[in-house]
Amino acid sequence: MDFRPLAEVERRTLTTALRNNADRGLALLMDRLDTSFAGTAEDVPEVEVINAVKSVPSHY
Amino acid sequence: MGLLDTEFGKRRLLSVEVPAIEKYNEGRDAAFKVALARVGGTLLLTYLLKPCHNPYRLETRLLSSYPTVPPETRVLTPLKHCPHLLEGQTICLWRQGSMRASSRWDPAKFTCIFAIQAAWRWLACYEIWHETGEWPLPEAK
Repeated sequence: MDFRPLAEVERRTLTTALRNNADRGLALLMDRLDTSFAGTAEDVPEVEVINAVKSVPSHY
Repeated sequence: MGLLDTEFGKRRLLSVEVPAIEKYNEGRDAAFKVALARVGGTLLLTYLLKPCHNPYRLETRLLSSYPTVPPETRVLTPLKHCPHLLEGQTICLWRQGSMRASSRWDPAKFTCIFAIQAAWRWLACYEIWHETGEWPLPEAK
């Protein structure tokens, strides 16, 4: 696979989102069609929970 | 408990796991839907995730001891060796015996879709590590 790196702005945005997810419980949103990163949200409607990475337990 | 060979396991499968997969697949592009197959006593979920620009093919195994034992997920797409990556490109998601709820697999609360979501977050971290050499999230205790 030819790896396409993140642009610097994309990397900063994603890093902040991941840290807010871990520290503040903000949900990471997955695009419904292709699972790409679609931003963060404090509250997620019930119908979109399946596309929101919120309380995923993990050790890293 | 066997997921495929006990009443409790079959009930869990039909009332929790399969509906969760169906809900995940609703409205999703065909290439990104989860496919479910039985391989011996194991259920195998195969799917594609693309948190950023790069698509990754993955498989999640629900062993016969699932959900007591958490699902195992590995990335089939070749990766660079990185933190939290085990042999066979199995990704390290849950720390067994951890005292922190945020680090533990809880069979009463989570479904196989949680494994997919955890894998998605892992891949987002991998994309950042690939560029910076630093894993963006601290390791939990």
